Parts: sequence; structure tokens; C-alpha cells
Amino acid sequence: MCPAPVRAHDAAMATKTITDRDDAPDTTAGPVVSVRGLEKRYGGTTVLDGVSFAVEEGELFGLLGTNGAGKTTTVEILQGLRRSDGGRVRVLGLDPATAGDRLRRRIGAQLQDAALPERMRVGEALRFFASLHPAPRPLDELAGEWQLEKLWRRPFSALSGGERQRLFVALALVGRPRLVFLDELTQNLDPVGRRRTWDVVRRVRDGGTTVVLVTHDVEEAERLCDRIVVLDRGRVVAEGTPTSIVRALGGTATVTFTDGDLDVRSLRGLPGVDRVDRHGAVVEVTGTGPVLAHVGAHLVAVDRPADDLAVRLPSLEDRFVALTQEVPA
Amino acid sequence: MTATVTRTVPTRPTAARSGAVWMTLRLAGTELRLLGREKSVIVGLVGFPLITVLVLAGVFGQGPDPDFGGVSPDDHYLVGYIGVVLASLGVATIPVHLATHRELGVLRRYRAAGLSARVVVAAQVLLGAVLGTVAASVVLLVGSLVYGLPAPEDPLGALGWYLAGLACFVALGVALGSLARTGRSAAALGNLVFIPMFLLGGGGPPRAVMSSTMQTISDVLPLSHVVGGLRQAWLGTTDDPHVLWWPVVVAAVAVALAVRSGRRRPS
Repeated sequence: MCPAPVRAHDAAMATKTITDRDDAPDTTAGPVVSVRGLEKRYGGTTVLDGVSFAVEEGELFGLLGTNGAGKTTTVEILQGLRRSDGGRVRVLGLDPATAGDRLRRRIGAQLQDAALPERMRVGEALRFFASLHPAPRPLDELAGEWQLEKLWRRPFSALSGGERQRLFVALALVGRPRLVFLDELTQNLDPVGRRRTWDVVRRVRDGGTTVVLVTHDVEEAERLCDRIVVLDRGRVVAEGTPTSIVRALGGTATVTFTDGDLDVRSLRGLPGVDRVDRHGAVVEVTGTGPVLAHVGAHLVAVDRPADDLAVRLPSLEDRFVALTQEVPA
Repeated sequence: MTATVTRTVPTRPTAARSGAVWMTLRLAGTELRLLGREKSVIVGLVGFPLITVLVLAGVFGQGPDPDFGGVSPDDHYLVGYIGVVLASLGVATIPVHLATHRELGVLRRYRAAGLSARVVVAAQVLLGAVLGTVAASVVLLVGSLVYGLPAPEDPLGALGWYLAGLACFVALGVALGSLARTGRSAAALGNLVFIPMFLLGGGGPPRAVMSSTMQTISDVLPLSHVVGGLRQAWLGTTDDPHVLWWPVVVAAVAVALAVRSGRRRPS
């Protein structure tokens, strides 16, 4: 199965010193991906405006944004498939603009808009791309992992969207890359396939591969990513763990329970409570901080404990929608 | 400026797997196998020149003819059609193949796997060389069996002209395929170039019956020189232009254009 995770500090225990040149590859002296002040314009339209972030070794890093936010342009620049108009980018210590071919042989990439020759069979594709790497993954293992065994002799043109997606991910991983880019990974997958894919992505990360996941799917980013950068109209509008981004929202918690007879005025004085509403028998208390604990304690104290006491906390999706709907200054 | 850093993994893949030659061979081999499944390519590549040469040879007869430099029309066309199949391959088949790859995102997939523009171009050239040789061999075989085509007077010269033609048209095809955005535009561009080149460059009427304007146009077409060179080396006729450096220059310019285009527009 997958090898044990390789973390930067573990790896540093058994290393040798070399002299760094600008193009020296595969070093662990800094982040795996470093982006500073990245800019890109198409004609008169600015699509990336000073984007900066870093991806550390072993992370499952998310680039989250709405369609047109600049995510795909960013990862294409990181892979050397597109030129930037400004800023500094280093991937595995290499400049993608000048060492693109060398870099691309060391990373894995599942691209959003890519295809294979229509008559190329699944097995042929795996064999061909594996042959470009010095130590590829065993193909039977890879095919099993991505449910491609039964499709082995099927031509690319006869694959469904989900099957194509699985093949592309397998191709991205065939060379045992240290860093892999997955762009809109679960697009075209059904819910079962989506969850199965998430499990495998976690396993890829657990195997020591750094993963950059490009997605517009907030749930996917929240469930999978260790850290997220939110892009909106070419700018980074939030960065951190999913939890920290939600916390930064400073949003309110909403506590609900059913009690048609409770005098709700008694709730208004509780710490953190901003507002109390009643909708028939349902009481809705909105507030900040540990408002759930205070409401629960109060209901016990007045001997009216509710058996449907529930709280809804702000989600990453709430935060994402708020961030991406703000009009930039 | 130097700095101390640490290295944790092997920095270079083994030479056998990462070399440009290996990648070129792998890519060309894979693409060749896939093209072998495309019946339309095979039929177009071999069927078109064969049918045309059989019709023309049948129309103009098999006796010596002064309009054909004193040789029989069937020999004249058969030898010339070695050049024509190369032009057909280069200008009408390769560009469509390459542009369709770009349109569908196949080139993008290749680039993402670390296959450089140089490797992709070289693989297409190699692929074209193999296909061109197969198609030319079929024409020669049919010519020998059906019309008793004689052996070349200057075999080395004929080989040299064949190689020059191969280089010229395969490179031209790769360049056109690199410039075209879609398979459809490549097909239109290919036909636009191929049809006049075919008619005035050795596949149509003999030079002796062309108007002076047609002859002037014919003189700048690389196909005229390849066909003229082949006829001169094979049959000893010197009616057609045959300047060897011209197709070689066209090949060099086309390769440079293709590589430049591949670098500027990788996907």
C-alpha cells in the first residue's frame, strides 16, 4: 500500500548538503510551492492581481473560488503551462516559466480541460505515461485504486465523464510525484464516486505527496483540505484552515428548540444573546460565543429542558458566499 | 550566490526514461499504433494517390511522350507520385491530426506530463516519416507490379530526393498543424495549400503544357522540386525544376516555426 508519510523534518534527518543553484530541483529548504505577487492579464482584463501564498510539504492545500476567480490560471502558471505577467513563482525550487518541462516530469497533474487521443485505450494510456517516469507505480495497483481494471481495453472516446476523470487522476499519480495538482477533481462524479475519490485523495496525502486541490466546491475543500486559499476575482480574500476561516467570519450561532409556553423574554438577558424570535412553538435564539451553553443552562435552570435543542454554526460555505459577494474596494 | 539546502529525493530520473530520444520514440510509437486504427487516414494516405495515379496513367498511356520529357506518362506520374504522397501526408494529414490533438486537449495532456514541444514535434516528424515511407512504398509496389516501373537510374539520388521531400513535407505539416487552432481549420488550410501544389507541382498536367504564369508558380512550390528531382534521378528527365536546397530550406523554416509555435502556445 502507500508508503508512510514523509514530513520535512523526517526527511531532513537523512539528507546531504548540496549547493543550491537557481534551477536546483527537489529541495526542501522552503515551501513546495511559493507564489508572491502573481499577476496575469488577458488583454485589458486582470485575472490575477497580486496573488501570494505558499504550500508546505505534505499539505493537502485547497485553492477555492467561484468560476472565473483565477484558480485554473494560477495552477497553470504553477505548472509552466501559462506565462505570468508579474510576480515570483517557485515550485519544487524551480521556476515554472524557465524549467517547465523538467518541473512537469516531477509533478502530477489532473487538468480541467485535457483529453487523450480518442482511440487510446485505458491500459495504453497508463502504460505510456508510466513509461515516461523512472519509477512508476505498479499499474495493476493504480488501476485497482481507481477502478480502471474493467476499463483496461476501452478507448478513451468510450469513457464516461467520471471514468475519464478517474483515469486522469491515475495518470497524475503514476509517476509517484512529490506534488500533485488536482483541478476540479470530482467534477462529473456521482456522490458515491465523489466520496470514494475524497478517500483516495486523503490516502495520497497520507502517502507523503503534497496535494494542491483546485475546487469551487466548498464542501470538498472543507472536508479535504488542511489549509485553503480563497480566490475571488483574482485576489486572495482569505487564507487559513477551514475552521480559522469560519472563525474569522465572526458569524453568529443560531440556537433553536421547541417550547410553546416558555417566556422568551427571559432569554434576552443571557450572555451573548443578540436576538430571540418565536415562530409558533419554535424558539430561535441568535448570538455569539457559547450561546448554546447559556441557553441550555437556562432551560435546565427553569426546569424546561428541550429535547430538540440544536445549534447551527456559520459554515465555510457561509463564509465563502460572504467573501465572494463582497464588492472589492 | 550559493546557499546550503537539503536534498531528500533523487533529483533526476534515469537517463533511459527521461531522455528526449526515448520520449520521442515512445510518443511516436504510441501515436503510430493509434493512427493505424484510423481507417480514414490509411485510406486517404494510400488510396488517394493510388487511384489518381492509376487513372492518370490509364488516360495518358504507356508509350514515350515528348510532353513528358520523352518518357512514358505512367512512369512520369508514378515517380512523381512518390513526392505527391509525401505532400499529401504532410499538408493534408499531419496538420489535421496535430490540430485535432490541440483542439481536444491532448497536447495539453502531453505537456502536463513533461513532454516538451520539441519532443512532440520530433515525434510527429518521426510519425510522418514512417507513414510517408509506407505510403510511398505502396505506390512503388503497385507501380512496379501493374505498370512495370523501371529501377531508378540514380538510386542514391532518388533516395536523397525522397528524404528531402520527406523532411520538407513532414516539417511543413507539423508547422501547419502547430498554427491551426482546430482540426477543421487545419483541414481547410491543408486543402488550400495542397490542391494548387498538387495540380501545379507535379501531380497535374506536365510542365510542358502549362502557361508561363503556371510555370512561374510551379517554380516556387517545393513539391515541383521534389517531384522534379525524383524524376531526374529516376528517369533522367530534366523538364521540372529540381533545386535540392529549396525543400531543405522549407523544412528548416517549418521546423523552426513549429517549435516556436509549440513554445508560445503550449496548450
